[in-house]
Amino acid sequence: MKTKNMKKLAIVAILLGFIGFAFSPAPERITVKGSDTMVILAQKWAEVYMKSNSNVAIQVTGGGSGVGISALINGATDIANASRKMKPTEKDKLKERYNTMGVEVACAKDGITVYLHPTNKVKELTVEQLGKIFRGEIKNWKEVGGADAQIKLYGRENSSGTYVFFQENVVMGDYAANCQTLPGTAAVVNAVKKDVNGIGYGGAAYAEGIEICKVKKDANSPAYAASTETIAKNQYPITRYLFMYLRNRPTGEMKKYIDWILSPEGQKLVVEMGYFPIK
Amino acid sequence: MKKLSLIVFVFFCVLSLRSKAQEESTTNEKITELNDKVNGLTERLATAESDLSKLTKIKVSGYIQAQFQNFENPAIQPGNYWNIRRARLKFTYEAADGIKFLLQPDFLPGSVSLREAYVVLNDHWTKTFSLWAGKFNRPNYEVEYSSSQLELLERSLLIRTLYPGEYALGAKLEYKGIEVPLKLQLAMLNGSDGLTINNASGANLNSNDNKDFDNLKDFMLRGTYSLALGNLGALDFGAHAYLGLLKSNALKTLSSDYSTIKDVKVGDAVKRNWLGAEFQLFADVLGGLSIKGEYIAGKNASIGYAPVAASGTTAAVPGVANFQNNFSGYYIYLIKNLGKKNQFAMRYDYYDPNTDINGKDVSIKKYTSTDATALKSKTSGKSDLATGTLSIALHHYFDDNLRISLCYDIVKNEKVGATNAVVDTYTNNSGAKGTLDYSNVINQNVLTLRIQAKF
Repeated sequence: MKTKNMKKLAIVAILLGFIGFAFSPAPERITVKGSDTMVILAQKWAEVYMKSNSNVAIQVTGGGSGVGISALINGATDIANASRKMKPTEKDKLKERYNTMGVEVACAKDGITVYLHPTNKVKELTVEQLGKIFRGEIKNWKEVGGADAQIKLYGRENSSGTYVFFQENVVMGDYAANCQTLPGTAAVVNAVKKDVNGIGYGGAAYAEGIEICKVKKDANSPAYAASTETIAKNQYPITRYLFMYLRNRPTGEMKKYIDWILSPEGQKLVVEMGYFPIK
Repeated sequence: MKKLSLIVFVFFCVLSLRSKAQEESTTNEKITELNDKVNGLTERLATAESDLSKLTKIKVSGYIQAQFQNFENPAIQPGNYWNIRRARLKFTYEAADGIKFLLQPDFLPGSVSLREAYVVLNDHWTKTFSLWAGKFNRPNYEVEYSSSQLELLERSLLIRTLYPGEYALGAKLEYKGIEVPLKLQLAMLNGSDGLTINNASGANLNSNDNKDFDNLKDFMLRGTYSLALGNLGALDFGAHAYLGLLKSNALKTLSSDYSTIKDVKVGDAVKRNWLGAEFQLFADVLGGLSIKGEYIAGKNASIGYAPVAASGTTAAVPGVANFQNNFSGYYIYLIKNLGKKNQFAMRYDYYDPNTDINGKDVSIKKYTSTDATALKSKTSGKSDLATGTLSIALHHYFDDNLRISLCYDIVKNEKVGATNAVVDTYTNNSGAKGTLDYSNVINQNVLTLRIQAKF
């Protein structure tokens, strides 16, 4: 190839580059992927929003917070739902691929609920006791005032934001090797429903047909169940924000959708679906 | 008759009840059998899950880069060809929380080389320190930036010269703040990785990639801080220092400007020290944009050899002095996303291997030995000329695994003052001989079309 041709090619490349400065299309189809804890809420938001905005198609799937954030980094989704904060390594990957720091939108609050079988005599536990139970240091219910029976642990897969949050804030170490990992909070609830000696954790919105364990910050604190009031007053000790992550500051339809989620209408659905509003 | 009917009725009832009882007993047996089977399957599943959880600790990733290149420099023959630039597999094993092993071989036609192999121990208490040992990236921004992600396909000439092969053997202590976005790295390295140190007969004394050339160790220190700029993005900035020593294998060391020579002994330390400053600006502007740059200046060194006296029929070989060159260089990137699938990148990099000699003076500046039998004279030449490269690239990401890139490097050399003072002679494809005169800008532009598959 001749040098002149090469230079022409270089000029074309530069022009194409600069076109990009001026043109960055906004999507009319929005894909949302990530946290299984948030999936029912995200689906509800999408369903209600699309009814009044027929020009926008919103596709929602779960898979876990880690899966959603990976999809955001790989360009496979527009919004990543996450029940934990983005890790520094994930931010670095986003920086490398898209040259941005990402945008974090806190869209709801959640109290990680501890599920017990309704027949379990134990009704409340401290955060420390929960940590010991899930680390495998407390193995029998009688050690925390229950029946003489071996404790059966049910938890989430390590791609789950709930897994990470519960590990960092309650377990504070490695999960016990016999903690059975299940795909989704609904599966954890089902497992505890069927196992009289079972204990599991997950989002408050899924707690149906099981006993909700009250949680104490420490042995001298009062025990609280997750509720709008206890979460708003910061009384329930295992409270977290739920996030939506985007690659860039939202524009166009994406911005309208995010603004709507944060509006009173969107936050009303948060309460309806069993989560807690951000304000 | 009635009696007979009654007997038949009772007989059938008994038969029916017996059959029902038998049926119930068979059903119960089946339930027990199924229960046992389910329990057996649950046990097997638990064993399989336990085995599988061990396997999830092993992560395999990798990438292959196949490319076509066209070289405009007539001295490069063949002038265009397909080749495999990198074919790497990375195996990571997280043995336990806080302990990681990594192995990364590079498979190229005719050769397999070990690029990375290290152990990382993370501190359990503060969760901020990690200790690395083995062969790992030298602490520098462009070096640590993944080769599969490079926007201009290759690192800048400055970095390729200072850190040949990117990886080095040694140990590194890293601090990564949790609350404060500060990262500090302190590395102790063999320091001779990728260097060629010839003896009097032309053999490379530093050919063992798994050993040091000498007993002297090099130190690298790098600190970076990430400053959040609100809605705009972030500015990362930092600095690094390289404090290195190489064992002299010669009896003289020549200064960068070819004016002075000093006596040294074989085994004396020859210094290689430099400082660098870096920044990376990530701006959330029209889909994402970044500007990155680094400036490095200091003193590098190459090692010569001592003269060899005549022995029997073997003639004496005059020595070559060590050479310490003052250098400087920089690079600056502009990277812009074009939607989700495309990216545009531009970089200018400049490297002056000898800041004490202007291009026009190259081939004039020289050290002339008074005793040519003991030391070779040395004249400045091509290796003292500065090079500036403007690179432009476009990438298309088909998905997260596949990227196609087109890159064009426009290379401009510093010009020598005198005609035909520094030349390259070559034989082209048709056998004709030619000369490249460095009193002009030599066309060294390169076009690269690369397809990268990553998993």
